[in-house]
Order: sequence, then structure tokens, then C-alpha cells
Amino acid sequence: MRPLEGIKVLDFTHVLAGPFATRLLGDMGADVVKINSVARATAINATNNPYYTMWNRNKRALALDMSRDEAKRIGKDLCAKADVVIDNFSVGVLDRWGIGYDLVSPLNPSVIYVQMSGMGQGGPWSDFVTYAPTIHALSGLTHLTGVEGREDIGIGFSYNDHAAGLHGAVAILAAIQARRSTGKGQRVDLSQFEVGVNLLGPALLDLFGNGRAARPAGNRLPYDEVAPHNCYPCAGAVSDDIADERWVAIACMSDVQWHEFRRVMGEPEWSSAPAYATAKGRVAAIEELDRQIGLWTGQLDAAEVMARCQAAGVPAGVVQNSIDLAENDPQIVASNFLMTFDEPNPVLGTTYGDRLPLTFGVTPCDTYTRVRDVGEDNASVLSDWLGMDSEDVVKGENAGYFA
Amino acid sequence: MTQEVGALSKVRIVDLTDERAIYGAKLLADLGADVVRPEPPEGDPLRQRGPFCEDDPDEPSLWHAFFASNRRFVSLDLETQMGLDQLTGLVRNADVVLVSEGAFGVTEANLDATLQTNPALVWVECSSFGREGPWKDYLAPDLVAGALGGAVSTTGDADTPPLKAFGDLNFVVSGCYVAIAALSALYHAKETGQGQRVHVPVHQCIASCLEHVFMWYWYSNLLGPARGRALERRGSLHWSNMYVVMQAVGGTIMVTPTPDIDAQLAWLIEADEFEDLFEPQFQDPANQSQFMARLMEVLRSFVGSKDVKELFLEAQSRHAPYGWVLPIEKVGENPQLEARDWWHPYSIGEHVVKGPGMPYRFSQTPWQMKPYVETDVDAERVLQDLGWDNDR
Repeated sequence: MRPLEGIKVLDFTHVLAGPFATRLLGDMGADVVKINSVARATAINATNNPYYTMWNRNKRALALDMSRDEAKRIGKDLCAKADVVIDNFSVGVLDRWGIGYDLVSPLNPSVIYVQMSGMGQGGPWSDFVTYAPTIHALSGLTHLTGVEGREDIGIGFSYNDHAAGLHGAVAILAAIQARRSTGKGQRVDLSQFEVGVNLLGPALLDLFGNGRAARPAGNRLPYDEVAPHNCYPCAGAVSDDIADERWVAIACMSDVQWHEFRRVMGEPEWSSAPAYATAKGRVAAIEELDRQIGLWTGQLDAAEVMARCQAAGVPAGVVQNSIDLAENDPQIVASNFLMTFDEPNPVLGTTYGDRLPLTFGVTPCDTYTRVRDVGEDNASVLSDWLGMDSEDVVKGENAGYFA
Repeated sequence: MTQEVGALSKVRIVDLTDERAIYGAKLLADLGADVVRPEPPEGDPLRQRGPFCEDDPDEPSLWHAFFASNRRFVSLDLETQMGLDQLTGLVRNADVVLVSEGAFGVTEANLDATLQTNPALVWVECSSFGREGPWKDYLAPDLVAGALGGAVSTTGDADTPPLKAFGDLNFVVSGCYVAIAALSALYHAKETGQGQRVHVPVHQCIASCLEHVFMWYWYSNLLGPARGRALERRGSLHWSNMYVVMQAVGGTIMVTPTPDIDAQLAWLIEADEFEDLFEPQFQDPANQSQFMARLMEVLRSFVGSKDVKELFLEAQSRHAPYGWVLPIEKVGENPQLEARDWWHPYSIGEHVVKGPGMPYRFSQTPWQMKPYVETDVDAERVLQDLGWDNDR
């Protein structure tokens, strides 16, 4: 038994943020019914697109063409049976389909609606269209993630989509807990923009409290005297391609760790300079400190630097890319974190996944079903949720509203 | 309809976390859970994290005020039997205990024994690398965790080192997972009466939130021209090649022709800035990748002559998801956040500082920000105030 078995989730989400939230719930045993349609299943919403396969495992697939009145009626019936209805459309789409919270909650007072829109309900930007790179830009994450003089770098992947998905899952589970106390459902308005801005909490308090506007800090800690704290080049690149470069991150969080690190380096003469004796002094001389450390690491293999530092109690880690993670990471191997789905994908063949990174002692979550094609579970979902017989399902499929 | 204060207002939590999991405890506390955070007599070491009120390290930490919001702090001397008894009293009466491996009070809390006497207890344990494996004892602050977890290699440019994201975003991920683990196990415990221990390794949490990284490794042969199974850091250019930050007049802006490329082309035609995009060589579907590359070049030219704010608003009026790259002071003036009344005053000792609101709004169980206070040394009174000294 998985911890969320018995919870019914009707999932109208698409792309990454919403599907990641519902993937988490599905991994933990919730009955997540993913709504898709032949018309919408294109590009990254196509069920055989690798991107789609990453975020939509452990869900059943129901096809509803919501441009059809029959599909809207069935959609409303499903909402009336759901514990959770979730979408990440722009504000108002579910209302236009006649399945918004105000219409459904009288039928199902315990239902929880979670809308993960880009900007939240209300406000002059509420209709703005966003993807994670949009949110990164508007929230300050792009401006601040970089080095001095560069405001055009930002985070190299759609971090905020994951963050919004994680916060969406928290919100759903909290609303379920609240329902236990109140007996009532409610509506949750999650703004992906507000998720992103929230992540800069201490910097925002510093802005408003001290009048100081944060600026890109590279790998340094902007508010704490910690040095060295950076990534350093290492030997062993197999080509001149940037993707093949080898780097190691080293972070001496205390003077004790710095002194241990000096020992790891063989106590070179330059490191005994009085300026380096304190964190304050090391921060003041950070460019020369980083240069000297880079000269040392540049002669060594990144994994060797990591092992020697860690053996001495100095935090250090190889800057791992996808190959390192998938092929060389002993923790990933030891935890069996990466896996192959038992059942081949009808189009892609073998597909792969990363497991839920949570180990439940009593309710282990070790069931993984492959991504389902559009409408592949029409019969089982409509039977389980609405008691519909197979003839009516086939009738709807032939008529095109379960498609 | 009557509104409850906080979705988790009846949930009791003990917070024995460090940086790796404190954000999870914050999420639960901000959702209304009754969260007690014990700390040693000399104070929580996280109170030393900057920035500080008045920019003075002798004043309260703004970092701590944010991450330890809505807590009750209690000072426990675990060198004494009284302190140990008080800690035992806390965990015995809790619904959930959140711990970071090695943090203050974790060993003394003796949670294995508590789970025997309180079988409904949910015990969420966060570690850097899990309980087994050759790296299980490795030290990993946010930068190192992000490096080993795969996040750092994605970020930066050819002329920079690999970069961590600003802030503690790797530990935000593990913190979120801690909250998810706690609430999921709590749901099961309320349904069945059966608590459990849940383990949350930071390393796998980070690796689970890398968007394209594993996809690229597994399916790179399906994702366009072969580039190998690891993608290099390349500034703001998204793995899809369809999102990138460009220079406009007065600032920079994240530009993308997605999701409606036809609409973007129509805009370029309207502006008479489509250049050679409709030449025959770009009409052959076999040349789609060349067409897209050329489209991004044309967009760079198009964007370069436009005022950044006007361009951003025009794009959004056309439902194009451009994003103006804003410095933090502009974020602080954002009209959407103002209109949604999002900012919230943080009461931090003698200071009141404007700060972030919640990342979500609950229609029936709104959040409440309690004043941030210094450590209460009278643990017994805290226990009595909370009613946690009574058997439940």
C-alpha cells in the first residue's frame, strides 16, 4: 500500500509544472487521471514525446475533447467525484468549460481545486503567458544567477517548473489535511510567479529592510563570509567541448575546514599568507585565492580532489553532468534511483525514469507504470469513477468526445 | 463560510532541521502547523546566516527570520536530564518530527523508541546522500550538493565556471520534498493510525528536478542533431534552443517564439522585420532546425531595436511568453504583486520589514504570519502554553 491510495485526482495540467505535481501524487499511490485529447496531444504534449514521458508516469489516461458538450458533461461528472481537480491553464479555462470551482463545489463540497496559473487570479498581469524561463526573468532569478556584469545567464533549466510542481503538491496535501478538520474542500490559487519571487526571500528582506539590492554573486555566498566557495577546473577533459570539461566544487564553510583544505593541498606557501587566516581575509582576497586553488585542482582529477577533500572533512564534489549521474554516481547506483519501465512504450520502445526520491518505511512507493497513450484508460477510468459500461465508452469514443 | 486559520492548524510538529530541510518545516509552519524548533543554549547556528537587520550581525538574521518563520523557539540544554526530558516530551506529543541527519537534538530525540510508543508518529529524516553508499558521510552544503546533484553543470556560460543558482535553491528542493513526505505520511497515519519513518536524500531530490538532464541522456538521439548525452552550460539558451535572453533597448528580455510560432511570424510580418525567413530554403520541413536557428537570429535583431518594457508588454498582449529580465529592486515594485497584495510585513524583534507572501492562497484557510521572536529559554512554559505537556 502506498501512502496516498484512495485519493482521486483529475489532472488537466500540461507541460511540466502541473504534471510534475501530479506525478508526485501518482508515485505515492493517488489515482491520477490525466486528461488529454487527440487534438491537444501535439509537440511536448504528445504521449510519445520524451518530454511528456518524463512527467506523466503513474497516471491513467482519459481522452476528453473539451470542445464537445458531451465531454464537458462527463468532465463535470468526474469533477463531482474527485478529491482534487488541478490545472495550469491561464485563469478561467475551467470556468469556460463549465467545470470551475463555483459550479462544481455545490455538487462536491469536499473537492479541492488547485489552479497553478502563471500569475495567479486577479491583477494586471493575470492573463500573461509564462513558461519557466519567463518566470525566472520576471522574478529576479535570471538577473541574480550569474556573475558580475552578466544579467543574461540565469538558471540553465526550468527550475521554477519543478519548484511550482513541488509547491503544488504541498498545497494539495495541505488542503487534504485541512479537509479532515473542516470537512470542506477549497480553492487554492498558486501563482508560479509568486513561487519564484518567494525563493528570493532573504534577499527581498534585505532589499526592503536594508535598502540593498542583491547582485549576481557567481558561486559565492552573497551575505556570508565563506571562502573558498567556488567551482574549480580539473584535469581529465576528454575533448575541448565545454560539455567534457571537468570541474570540482569546494566549499570551506569554516576556518577549520580551510585549515584542513590547506593540508589536503600540501600546505603550499601561498596559503600561509596571514590574509588567508580568516574568512574575512580570504573573502577580501578571493580572486587570488580562487586562482591559486584553480592551479592546484587543474593538475588533478575531479573525483580525486573530491575524495581527498571529503576524507579530510572538507566539503567538495565533482560537478556532475548527465553522464556522471547516470553512469558513474555510486549513490545513484546504490539507491537504484534510475530505472527502466517494465512495459515498453508502444512508440518509443524502452523508456526510462528517475524514482521518487522518498523512502517510506511502511508504505514503499515502488510501483512505476509507463506513460499511457491518449485515452488508453478510458474504459477503466469511466467505469471506476462513474460506473459507465463499456458500450457507452465505445459510443463516446466513436462519436469523438472520448478522443 | 467560516474561515479556518491555516490549513494545518491542528498539526503538531517538532523541527530538528538544518539548511537541508528547514524550508520544508517553514512550508508546514506557514500553512498553520504548530511547529516548535528546539535549539541549543548557545543558539541556533542558522541565526548566524546573513543578511541581518540593520546590516548588523548583532541584530536578528533576516535569513533565519525567513526560513524559521512561524515557529516557536525553545532552548534546550541536552546536557541535562531536564533538557532531555523536555525534548522527549516534545517528540512524544508530536504528529510529525522533521530532522536533518546530525542536526541539534536528533540523536537525543531517540526517535526509534518514540515510534514504538507513539506508533502514529511521522518521522521525516533528511540526509545529504542517504543512509548507505560510499558518499553517505560526505559533507554537502548547497553548492556541493548542487554540483553532485547535477544542477550546477547546467548553469553558467562558456566564459564562466559552472554556477549555482542564487540563494539556497538546492535545499529548497529537498525542503519541499520533506514537506511532501511529511504530509503524505501524515495522511496515511490519519487514515490508518500507522506512522512511519520516511527518508529524504538531498542528492536524489536535486537529481529529480533537472528538467532535461536525464531526458537528454536517455533520448538525445530523438531530440535533434546529435550533441552527445551531456549538454554543455550555455548561458540562458534553453536545451530546446527556443528560449534565450536577448538585449533590447534599456534592458534584457527572455525571448521565445513558442508556443505559437505562426503568431510570432505574423508579428514579424506586421513589423516588416521578417528578413529572409520565407525564402525557399526555410520552407522545406527537412530544414526545420535551420529555420528555427534563423528565426532566433531574426528575433535578436528585431528585439535589439525595441524598448524593453514596451516590447515585453506588447509580447504579452499577443500571448507571447516573453519575460523582462528584472533586477530585484524592480521585482520589489512589481504591479502584479502589488495588485494581489502579496507582500507581507515581517515582525522581527523590534523591526518590521516588508517581505514575501505565500506561494499559494487557500480560499478557506488563509495563512497568518506570526511575529518572529528570539529564543524562549523557558522550555517548560512553552510546553505548557502549547498544551504539549499533556498526554493526548
